[in-house]
Amino acid sequence: MTAEEWYRADRLPHIYCAGCGNGTVINCTLAAVEELGWRREETVFISGIGCSSRAPGYILTDSLHTTHGRALAFATGVKLANPGLNVVVFTGDGDLAAIGGNHFIHACRRNVDMTVVCMNNMIYGMTGGQGSPTTPPGAFSTTTPYGSGEPAFDLAELAIAAGANYVARWTSYHVKELVKAIAAGMRTPGLSFVEVMTQCPTNYGRHNRLRRVSDMIEYLRTHALLVQKKERLVQEGKTVPDEMFTVGELVRRNRPAMGVRR
Amino acid sequence: MKLVIDESRCKGCNLCVLVCPYGIFQEGSELNQRGIAVPRLDRPERCTNCRLQHLYGRLLCGMCQMICPDQAIRWVEEEPFEPHSVVVEF
Repeated sequence: MTAEEWYRADRLPHIYCAGCGNGTVINCTLAAVEELGWRREETVFISGIGCSSRAPGYILTDSLHTTHGRALAFATGVKLANPGLNVVVFTGDGDLAAIGGNHFIHACRRNVDMTVVCMNNMIYGMTGGQGSPTTPPGAFSTTTPYGSGEPAFDLAELAIAAGANYVARWTSYHVKELVKAIAAGMRTPGLSFVEVMTQCPTNYGRHNRLRRVSDMIEYLRTHALLVQKKERLVQEGKTVPDEMFTVGELVRRNRPAMGVRR
Repeated sequence: MKLVIDESRCKGCNLCVLVCPYGIFQEGSELNQRGIAVPRLDRPERCTNCRLQHLYGRLLCGMCQMICPDQAIRWVEEEPFEPHSVVVEF
């Protein structure tokens, strides 16, 4: 089965704005699913509320479109009720980091066997561009008209600290690496967290002089710092630029996991 | 194989223009029926996937298809004796 066959062709084109990175992330996830050869009847996609959470609606499998922030709680229930299912959670930064923060921490602590793909567009895109917990300091949004004065939330670090078994971060520009990371996450027993920095030219870019999709992609590309390069910079005693985010496979370990298929 | 852009899905974000290593996609200028400037294909027969997909039996580069947020790019089988534009280079 190819990735094209996993799409609900009757629902396309989807409602995402022109140039939105969420479609790219769906492509990459389905390419990873195809690589692993999962069957349609034993795959469940779960999402909360937000732009990113509309993704399962375009995929031809069983899916749950749940309440805001509670996607991981529903996913835990699905996985523990039937450990034979492959569970993938699509979620956004507002969904996962803001309202669903505690569910996220505890899903990582319990290490439930599922893959969480977080499409982090650094803003609340669907509701009109309000500042989210991951809005970088100094970035403009409708609720931070003078620039965000708060430090941003590093979701990957949070997942590592809370105990997820596999944590990676990529951007929607690095598609090949992203497919590999999602596939590796799906193979790892326990909670695998893949954070994807996506572009939101409509609501993030518009306020931050990145209106064109190519500008937004260029922003992601130039601000991504590979984790090996960061380690080298630290070893050499050089300063790591504040505005850059690390990309790459951040952790892979073997803590005891819940709900693993026997 | 032949490279095609599905005009009913494309939203004209021009991400394919950005990633194609051969520069096959060019920013479109004419609006289609839906009011979207779909990228133009500049000599699509240069695409590795068009030429070598059957030989290798797998998808080769595929960057444009993977990054396309609207799932509009794909490769289709060519009809026999389809007309080609031929460019003679000296």
